[in-house]
Amino acid sequence: MKKPIVFTSEREMPPMAVSLADMGHNRTGSWRYLRPVYREKIAPCKNACPVGNDIPRILSLVSEGRYEDAWRLFRETSPLPGVCGRVCYHPCESFCNRKNFDEALSIASLERFVADACFDLEDRIPERPKRSEKIAIVGSGPAGLTCAYFLAKDGYAVTVFEAASQPGGMLRLGIPPYRLPREVLDREIELIARWGVEFRTNTKIGQDISIEKLWEQHDAVFIATGAHRGRALNIPGEELAIQGLEFLKAVNVGKTIALGKQVLIIGGGNTAMDCARTALRLGAQPVVVYRRTRDEMPAIAEEIEEAEHEGVQFEFLAAPVALRRLNGKLEVQCIRMQLGEPDASGRRRPVPIPGSDFIMRADAVLKAVGEEPELSFLSEHVETSEGIVIERAHGILERAGIFIGGDAQTGPSTVAQAMRSGKETAQAIKSFLRGERKPKPKKLEEALRVNFSYFVHQPRVPMPHMPVAERITNFSETKRAISSERARAEAQRCFSCGVCNSCDNCWVFCPDAAITRIDGTYEVNYDFCKGCGVCAEECPRNVISLVEEEL
Amino acid sequence: MTPTLTGTKKVVTGNHAVSYGAMLARVQVISAYPITPQTQIVELLSEMCANGTLRAKFIKVESEHSAMAALIGAASAGARAFTATSAHGLALMHEMLHWAAGARLPIVMADVNRAMGPPWSVWTDQNDSLSQRDVGWMQVYCESNQEVLDTVIQAYKVAEKVLMPAMLVLDAFVLSHTAEQIEIPNQTLVDQYLPPYQPVYKLDVNDPRSFGALAPPDVYMELRYKMHQAMEEALTEWAKADEEYYELFGRRYGLIEPYRADDADLILVTSGTVTSTAREVIDELRAEGRRVGLLKIRVLRPFPAQLVREALADAQKVAVIDRNISFGMGGIFAQEIKSALYNTHDRPPIFGFVAGLGGRDITPKVIQEIIEYTESHDEPEDLIWVGVKR
Ligand SMILES: Cc1cc2nc3c(=O)[nH]c(=O)nc-3n(C[C@H](O)[C@H](O)[C@H](O)COP(=O)(O)OP(=O)(O)OC[C@H]3O[C@@H](n4cnc5c(N)ncnc54)[C@H](O)[C@@H]3O)c2cc1C
Ligand code: SF4
Ligand code: SF4
Repeated sequence: MKKPIVFTSEREMPPMAVSLADMGHNRTGSWRYLRPVYREKIAPCKNACPVGNDIPRILSLVSEGRYEDAWRLFRETSPLPGVCGRVCYHPCESFCNRKNFDEALSIASLERFVADACFDLEDRIPERPKRSEKIAIVGSGPAGLTCAYFLAKDGYAVTVFEAASQPGGMLRLGIPPYRLPREVLDREIELIARWGVEFRTNTKIGQDISIEKLWEQHDAVFIATGAHRGRALNIPGEELAIQGLEFLKAVNVGKTIALGKQVLIIGGGNTAMDCARTALRLGAQPVVVYRRTRDEMPAIAEEIEEAEHEGVQFEFLAAPVALRRLNGKLEVQCIRMQLGEPDASGRRRPVPIPGSDFIMRADAVLKAVGEEPELSFLSEHVETSEGIVIERAHGILERAGIFIGGDAQTGPSTVAQAMRSGKETAQAIKSFLRGERKPKPKKLEEALRVNFSYFVHQPRVPMPHMPVAERITNFSETKRAISSERARAEAQRCFSCGVCNSCDNCWVFCPDAAITRIDGTYEVNYDFCKGCGVCAEECPRNVISLVEEEL
Repeated sequence: MTPTLTGTKKVVTGNHAVSYGAMLARVQVISAYPITPQTQIVELLSEMCANGTLRAKFIKVESEHSAMAALIGAASAGARAFTATSAHGLALMHEMLHWAAGARLPIVMADVNRAMGPPWSVWTDQNDSLSQRDVGWMQVYCESNQEVLDTVIQAYKVAEKVLMPAMLVLDAFVLSHTAEQIEIPNQTLVDQYLPPYQPVYKLDVNDPRSFGALAPPDVYMELRYKMHQAMEEALTEWAKADEEYYELFGRRYGLIEPYRADDADLILVTSGTVTSTAREVIDELRAEGRRVGLLKIRVLRPFPAQLVREALADAQKVAVIDRNISFGMGGIFAQEIKSALYNTHDRPPIFGFVAGLGGRDITPKVIQEIIEYTESHDEPEDLIWVGVKR
């Protein structure tokens, strides 16, 4: 600092309180106890997406009409955008910040839109070193497919063993085509195969090849066999009921099934909904029998609504206690239930009302009360508890090099969760083969503070549906595609949470001129930032946040 | 001297006269919040900004406090800054008015005199501007739309010279919404009269300085002394600015204006539009041979005490009309006149009249009554309420 200026008379003084010297030496940053930090954050939608799709960036591309770029960005994180855009339960939307403003972004329908718009595109497959390690994947559901995709991209030789005649797992065997057209599934599997993945269908491990042999012939094995064994009702006459999942599988592989007119479906989950809607399309009048009320149904709300729209009937607070055959018909003896105390899942426990038995008649009864993994082919190698494999450290089973994931590991879950598991296993296998430890997942900071003042209300683009009358006679897709204009308009609703779009607000608003612009990004000059927080407040998308200064 | 470049004649309201004045002064930043009866001023200015007639930044704000704060920022950065307000809007600016003056920023503002609520009123009286008498702003009370326009331009001339902000005041509706023919001066001449503002100190990221920092007792008083000096200097500067204006445009107003007061026994003191009415009354009474005259106070701050003393030196009686009231004391102009004359010998008795509050008309008859009351009473009275229904 220079020598202080001392005024001896008013004449020497400036007219106002202004420093005569350059104040550059006065580092006002020392006054600060809060520090603005310019750091991009993860959007909550992206954080909630099990496969980690970079939603804000993808939507930004869609809003500009750059669909191919959007599709390629999807394919960096997921080999199945066309599938997910249709059947994923979109946890991304549940966490979308926009739902606190008007309505969440319609992310899944945009994902579908991009996949449809780019249906004919193919991945650009670069020249890459072939690796010698061979990897076997058992099961070609979303877990197996995703694991195969990411390993093959890295040059590993991957073979997928599948018991069924075609790959796809539940996507082909369980989920009906009116929700997932098979050409979409076929196309995305075809693109995975292009990376050099070999599919060996009609090959059941434990029967056609032993797990031992598989393990000997490969450097790593991924067990992704799903959860396909239907649970039992444990009531007399049970054998007269058909397993719901088996029914779906049969219809889905094109077998003709005659159910008759009156069909009862026992259960309230997604399998039950698909059974009912499939039966409806085969000409039946399905009734779903569920032991609690609509509020407790484990099926996704959207699926229940669709079933209701299509005319599926519901019999709530009823549970079957016995099945009999009588005069060519089935007689289901049911008991009335009432809701008692909440159970471990937080839902109220159904309690039978004594003496309330009643009879329901049916041509066929489908039981859909849950599935569990069938892992007997592994029994010597892994411990199981109620059919669910207990996870070992890092997902590596006792025998080094055997990994398990997807529904086979967790029990029935979702497509996207199975994909996450497949993706993480691909990473774990790579680490294992390189003799490294599996990398720890990074804790990411979410962008949750959006400044709504910068946005205008605009309703979510509605998803067009085929009219019910047209839907229930066939298996064609019920949801229709949105137009390109609507897709762009919808994508423009995205706040781009946590992603800086160089709006200049921080730079404009900083009262201390402590923000510097550098090629579309910004830097805080902490020598002069007084920590007032205006930049953080005025950053519309939470890229700047305030942290307490360490003392 | 005859102007070489003529202006244009136009019939405009007092409010639009303000807008044209600001336009000719080439203001660079305008920030305002609308309030009746001021709104048209900034409406026209915002149109001018939008259509490019005026190259200025128009900052929309959420309150008058912010409007003035924005102008303080703009003026600190060296811009010629303008706003207009009225009544409650002006009251809300109060804190920032002190700041603008203390920071020595030559901001110019138009205040349309409107009575304060409650009860709500939109009509004219001077309590709003007079409540801000001591904040360090120059105050100029205008009588006609032409004077309004000319005063905007003169105000920048003086304000930028002495570095004190200036407020010109016009009566609600009587001027603000009443159209009369005025001359819009020629821009080239105005540019010649009012060159761009060149601040000595300004906010500049390349020359960082601290502004308005803490001043300990050993310097604070000096800075206040300098503000007062600037106001004193402004008395001369107003006179100079007025003369220079006259040379270019052929009009001048003075800081005060005596009217037929030379040999008057009784001098009536007025401000604002009451003056015009009073001129008529004086003319009529003069025609009857009565020795009455008029003194218009145009510049209230800085107060031209010496000029007032000289103008009233030979009067036998003085009657002051106040369209305002300082509750518990009386009319504010009357107090000013009295305190200016107190230290002189042979001062005349001063009668203080309060009239026309909340926009009640001050008609020729009212003025005549005031004159007659003053003539017929010998003992001066501090506060005489005119026309109160009792
Ligand atoms: C009817 C139904 C509808 C559903 N709808 C949805 C939905 O809309 N959205 C959603 O997110 N989730 C849905 N799910 C859940 C979802 O399908 C599963 O969570 C997901 O498919 C699990 O993936 P996975 O790869 O772990 O196993 P799966 O998809 O089950 O794939 C396992 C594969 O392994 C094969 N396999 C099994 N054993 C062997 C063996 N020994 N040898 C070789 N191959 C074997 C099976 O044939 C199968 O192809 C639904 C489930 C069902 C049953
Ligand atoms: S995969 Fe599911 S969670 Fe992820 S973006 Fe698509 S719809 Fe959302
Ligand atoms: S607004 Fe966009 S970025 Fe933010 S959570 Fe929703 S979809 Fe994601």
